[in-house]
Amino acid sequence: MVAIIEKRDLRDFDWLTSLLAIAIAGFGVWQIHNALPTENYWTKQIFGIGIAVVAFLVVAFSDYRWIIDSAPYFYVFGLVLLALVLTPLGVEVNGQQAWVKLPVVGQFQPSEFMKIPTVLMLAKYFGARRGGELTLREVFIGGAIMAGPIGLIMLEPDAGQAITYFPLLAAVFFLSGIKIRYVVILTVAIAVLVPAAYMVGVKTGKIKRYQQERINAIIDPDSVDPRGYGYHTIQSVITVGKGGLSGIKGDSETSQSVLKFLPEPQTDFIFAVTAENTGFIGCVSLLLAYALLLSRLISGAREANDRPAMLVIMAIVTAMSFQIFINVGMALGFLPVIGVPLPLMSAGLSAILTTFIAIGFAVSIRMRRFVN
Amino acid sequence: MKLNEQGQNLFARIGTIQVVAFVLLTILGVRLYYLQVVQGAYWAERAENQRIRLIPIPAPRGAIFDRNGKILVDSRPTYNVVLSNEPLKKLDINDRVEDYARGLGLETRYVVERLNLIKKQNDFETMVLKENATIGDISWVESHTLEYPELRIELQPQRFYPLGTVMAHVLGYVGEISPKQLESEEWKAKGLRPGDIIGKGGLEEYYDEFLRGRPGYRKVIVDSRGRVQSEIEVVQPQAGQDLITTVDLDLQLAAEQKLSDTPTKRGTIIAEDPNNGEILVMASLPSFDPNIFVQGSKTPEGRKQIAAYWQDEQRPLFNRAIQGRYPPGSTWKIPESVAGLEQGVITVAHSNLACGGGIQIGNKFTRCMGNHGSPPLGYAITHSCDGYYYRLALKMGIEGIIKMVENFDYDKRSGIDLPNEKISQTPKSWKPIIEKREGKWSDIRTVYSGIGQDTVVITPISHIRAIASIGVRGRMYTPHFLKEFKAIAAMGEEGQAGYFPARAAFTFQHPEPKIIEMTPEQNDLIVKGMWGVVNAGGTATSIKIPGFDIAGKTGTAQVAELGKDVGAKKDHAWFASFAPAEKPEIAVLALVENVGFGGSFAAPAVKGVYEAYLLKHPRGEQPPIDAKLVAKR
Repeated sequence: MVAIIEKRDLRDFDWLTSLLAIAIAGFGVWQIHNALPTENYWTKQIFGIGIAVVAFLVVAFSDYRWIIDSAPYFYVFGLVLLALVLTPLGVEVNGQQAWVKLPVVGQFQPSEFMKIPTVLMLAKYFGARRGGELTLREVFIGGAIMAGPIGLIMLEPDAGQAITYFPLLAAVFFLSGIKIRYVVILTVAIAVLVPAAYMVGVKTGKIKRYQQERINAIIDPDSVDPRGYGYHTIQSVITVGKGGLSGIKGDSETSQSVLKFLPEPQTDFIFAVTAENTGFIGCVSLLLAYALLLSRLISGAREANDRPAMLVIMAIVTAMSFQIFINVGMALGFLPVIGVPLPLMSAGLSAILTTFIAIGFAVSIRMRRFVN
Repeated sequence: MKLNEQGQNLFARIGTIQVVAFVLLTILGVRLYYLQVVQGAYWAERAENQRIRLIPIPAPRGAIFDRNGKILVDSRPTYNVVLSNEPLKKLDINDRVEDYARGLGLETRYVVERLNLIKKQNDFETMVLKENATIGDISWVESHTLEYPELRIELQPQRFYPLGTVMAHVLGYVGEISPKQLESEEWKAKGLRPGDIIGKGGLEEYYDEFLRGRPGYRKVIVDSRGRVQSEIEVVQPQAGQDLITTVDLDLQLAAEQKLSDTPTKRGTIIAEDPNNGEILVMASLPSFDPNIFVQGSKTPEGRKQIAAYWQDEQRPLFNRAIQGRYPPGSTWKIPESVAGLEQGVITVAHSNLACGGGIQIGNKFTRCMGNHGSPPLGYAITHSCDGYYYRLALKMGIEGIIKMVENFDYDKRSGIDLPNEKISQTPKSWKPIIEKREGKWSDIRTVYSGIGQDTVVITPISHIRAIASIGVRGRMYTPHFLKEFKAIAAMGEEGQAGYFPARAAFTFQHPEPKIIEMTPEQNDLIVKGMWGVVNAGGTATSIKIPGFDIAGKTGTAQVAELGKDVGAKKDHAWFASFAPAEKPEIAVLALVENVGFGGSFAAPAVKGVYEAYLLKHPRGEQPPIDAKLVAKR
């Protein structure tokens, strides 16, 4: 699997993408340190990034075509891991059984990793098609590929993580010739159905009280009990706003996260920590770095040799954009609190590893763009 | 460029995704700009408000001493057992009820009550579980820190009245400022906050401004659970000023003892230095324990005791010395004698008036206690001849009586440095009312007003002020307790936050004494009569002290309607005096409620105070109370 690194490989290696990803991750380590200077999350994250970079290099220097071909094996393996989560091997954290603990390997979150085999599986199937408009049969098969992981993740239950799978399918459908008409209809339908579903959910009691409060906290932050579930949203907004133009520059005496006003500062709310410490300047720089990274990945997709490769990259790009938007939107108080990590920034081995492997694919694809 | 050839506008669709991604990032950027740049200051302030706390540091209140430096009021450290919120979140508090109740000797019901209170407040730092913890409680908490990490001991200074009920009316007590007081401009201007302790009643209230310290505070950063993380600023409190009073504790104790020896145990004794108005004794019985107000207001038992004080028909919270109003009876004859001479109704040379065994007004004969012929003034005083004063009052007329009331300030407050002093009621205040009610002021009322009955009900404090002045050539000083307030040094640095300027020492600012105009001859005549009361076969010869000449006047004031004797409503016994007669050092007045004859009950009580005084100031030795002042005189 490990390819022999040739001189040509190094020449075509996408240094910009790689260094940008590592730079963002490094910036993330600094923010994790700012979040809780006395805890060891940031040292763990450095360790995680080390492992992730090794995995990234292995993937980058491997032939992606071989990997895509083997997608069904990875996919089945991934499903087995997700199933393991639900066995006694699974570990429960905050009421969600999203983790699995294996001997030697240690503890990790299969729902993060499973995104890669799912993308590969989708790319393998939809990459093989010959053009033309998307058929109903293809829609069903795409749905079936998604159904496995999403079903298992919902059993954990981890709705936030499950939601991040949908952009993968959306990107693949969109790039596989789905009629624009349907895209428009779907967009309108979502715009109408989501609020309607929420109303119905509230009426029937299907939506739990804490979920309701999280929504209310967005719509009308002042009406929500500031010590209840709206607390997270309000504290996050305070933390972001407090950062001002240039941030508090690591003044941990007044830090919202050190004083424990901001919950989960090293993971879900790492963006709020960034905003507090580096201010508007730091945040916009980070968003620009993401924009640059995404652009670079997209240009890799444009130059890809084959359709599966393009689909892999674009699915990754779409998923990353979506996650960034959901996570930051939550930190900025206009989206409900959903436990979605910020790519490359949030502390957590599984997430950082998954993201680097994904970018590794893109780099591998780009490296081989001239190969036939 | 191979993919594009496959059609489906693939690159356009990739471009669409790119544009959507950028639009989403732009939305985030705009929102960031709004929160951080536009609203940044607002959120920074909110963040600061939720992390900064001011923890007050209570200031010690000034202590109160008697004239010889004996402690009357102090503050002592008390310990509270408090519950911290933080560890409580991880355990079921209901499991602890029995443990707390057993360990701290509390009722289970009470513990449950407190814990329910705690549950209602989801954001607190600590909450008092038990006040005034004992040594046993403290050691129990300390030895169970592992089992019950939520319990802690907190130190708090508490006002303490070591003498209990002694002089309680004069000292007053302290308590939390009431919501009503907080709203008033007077207290707002002083910057008091809810929970602040202020004086209530007595000297604690009157001199609150000086006794009360200025609290400091710790400005700290707290975390989301309210736990202190670091300290930004400390402002040390400034203690209140110590008060040295004019009271002599030994005399006070003697007076209270004498009062409690009387049959009803109700009444008041006041002693003052007639040369300057310094109050040496102010006893009022029954009394109350101020400690109950300080400690008990937060417990059901304490509240019950306080309610019992308020409901008690004997009125223990009532300071009889300055709030009680009693008919003065024959003690009234002293100011009246002065007025008679001053108004020229009688003269030193011709002071005789008929006794006649009483007087006939219309068809009603009002008796004298005996038949004294046609006595001179001195004899009339010594033997308390009512007939003499019936006629004197008639000769003076009610206008003359009113003039005397004004002259001796019976129509005003004495100006003593205590709150809630009452004003006496006299013919001056009653005449317009009676005239309106009955159409005219009848002679019989003038006769009764001549012997301190009917329309005359006066406060003991106004009376001792008047009587004492007879001994010092008519100088009526303002009675007062303040001898000296001690100085307190400045705290902090000038010009900076938390600077408290120094508070200077000061003494009582004596208003000019009111002078009762009389010639030395007139004065001597009255003093001689008063001297005779005790020393020459008068109504109080039983209290004669050899070598220490008391000049006084007994009074037996009828409580029931004149002429009738109604069971429990026995006469009030009075004795008003000063000594030594020729050069007074001390004036003493006693009023005992519903016991009977003044010479039998009030005079012996006064004697007890003189004896206590003589123990401290034996005769034959100089100097008396205040050497300087006496010397000046």
